[in-house]
Amino acid sequence: MTSKLNRPGLALIALVLFAIAGFCWEAFAGPKKTSNAENESSNTGNMQLSGEELWTMNCRQCHNIRPPTMYSNAQWDVIVHHMRVRANITGQEQRAIVEFLKSSK
Amino acid sequence: MKKYFHHFLAHLMPVFILCVLCPSAGAQDPEGGYVSRKEYEELKQQMLALKKELESIKKEKTAVAQPAASPAPPAAGPSKETVQPTASLEDLVLGTTKFHIAGYAESTFEAQNRNISSFEASFNPIFLWELTPKLLFESQIELSLGEEGTDVELEFAQMTYLLNDYITLGVGEFLARSNVFVERFQALWINKLPDRPLAVYDGILPEKIVGIEVRGGFPLGPTRTKYAFYVSNGPKLITDDPSAAGMLDWDNFSDNNDDKAVGGRVGLFVPMLGMEAGYGFETAKPGDQGTPFAHVRSWLQSVDFNMNRDCDFLKGAIDLHAQYAWTRVDHAVFDPDGSLGFGPLSFSNKRDGGYVQVAYRPTKVDVDFLRNFEGIFRWDHLNHAPGGPGAIDEERWTLGLDYWLGPSTAIKAAYEWDKPHGQPNTNAVLLQAVMGF
Repeated sequence: MTSKLNRPGLALIALVLFAIAGFCWEAFAGPKKTSNAENESSNTGNMQLSGEELWTMNCRQCHNIRPPTMYSNAQWDVIVHHMRVRANITGQEQRAIVEFLKSSK
Repeated sequence: MKKYFHHFLAHLMPVFILCVLCPSAGAQDPEGGYVSRKEYEELKQQMLALKKELESIKKEKTAVAQPAASPAPPAAGPSKETVQPTASLEDLVLGTTKFHIAGYAESTFEAQNRNISSFEASFNPIFLWELTPKLLFESQIELSLGEEGTDVELEFAQMTYLLNDYITLGVGEFLARSNVFVERFQALWINKLPDRPLAVYDGILPEKIVGIEVRGGFPLGPTRTKYAFYVSNGPKLITDDPSAAGMLDWDNFSDNNDDKAVGGRVGLFVPMLGMEAGYGFETAKPGDQGTPFAHVRSWLQSVDFNMNRDCDFLKGAIDLHAQYAWTRVDHAVFDPDGSLGFGPLSFSNKRDGGYVQVAYRPTKVDVDFLRNFEGIFRWDHLNHAPGGPGAIDEERWTLGLDYWLGPSTAIKAAYEWDKPHGQPNTNAVLLQAVMGF
């Protein structure tokens, strides 16, 4: 049994435990969502960056910035969701960026 | 309008009464005068009239609140009641899920010394489907022209779930998180040169893997920490190919053993400086199960640094990417009895390589035409294990010039000085048109 718990096995267990901890955190102590865009932009950790600043700084790390008018609001929802996963953006930052993109049209 | 006017009167009435009564109270001036009976009666009549009007407004309001009992009021301009259904109309038409196609298309011409020049083209759509605000499916397919027609390749197909603001779970086929170039910069509308660097692409690092992952980011003071950890099938150790023995086959999508690879990347992003530094790794047992190679372990590490920021002094933007990787496969003896014709070959496969790329775009000059140009310089190289079979050490220097027609559309030109160790040069001219969407 001990020999079965090799490094990948332990890593898998660690991932599962990490996920369970995340679920518990979300259920009992997770951050409360706010619908106010202003709150979102001023609540992105300690960085105190606006949605526009977050949009600029995160996007241009990899590619040229596309104008907010290039896509519809629904498309921006999907694109920023995709980029949140790809660029390890936090949920608060994602919401602030989406609010900025939608309000910039 | 009439309705609003009535509401206005209803709210105005108490104020009006106060205004009227107060002066009447004040009518007890120092001279001892009082409001006359006639004035009192007039005020009383006015108050009664207003009271009556208020009651009629209340009745009308009650009638409006019961649509079944009365016909709909005539259109009187936009109101909250009429705007609300309009706002939700888009959701009703488009449904609750959201779908988007991104990706890019490109066409490249390459003229390389010692090789036949050729054109090539590919189409790389990315399908993004947001089933709920937390659940996303994303997949990329590469359609390219091969020798016998169209080649189709699944680049990634992954489901992700946003557990909370800082943790995302993913499962499926995804780009290797331990290799930041593949995950972030390989798309040709993002990669500034027509071709990709040695070592980190088609080289010594994984590109796409099948497994599960946990990833996300969280603020840490003025920075953001990024992380991604995964468990995957892992690579396969090549043991029977004389030109590639000891190397790793990353396209090992149906696993060759029960061991699973573990890898990931941790990065530190400083938004205010536009800088990010990261460390990626992966370890696995790539040998076939039940063979002498089953206990051979592979280990890879990668460090990267990325920066993009404006520079007033240079009147433009500087973009810097650097990544260096090391891989090691434990010592093993390939073709020990010589039955395959190249053994016994005993060695530990250690390889390393990486690239540095600097780009400058004069985004702050006054001439519009010049702002669309971008100059690029790249150095990349790949070292193979001494004594090992197969590929040759290679070092390249590349100069490129892009003209940006839009944020994701460019025409690129580059010249590459390529000098494989002990071989004639394979310098190349590269031209490319690319469009991201």
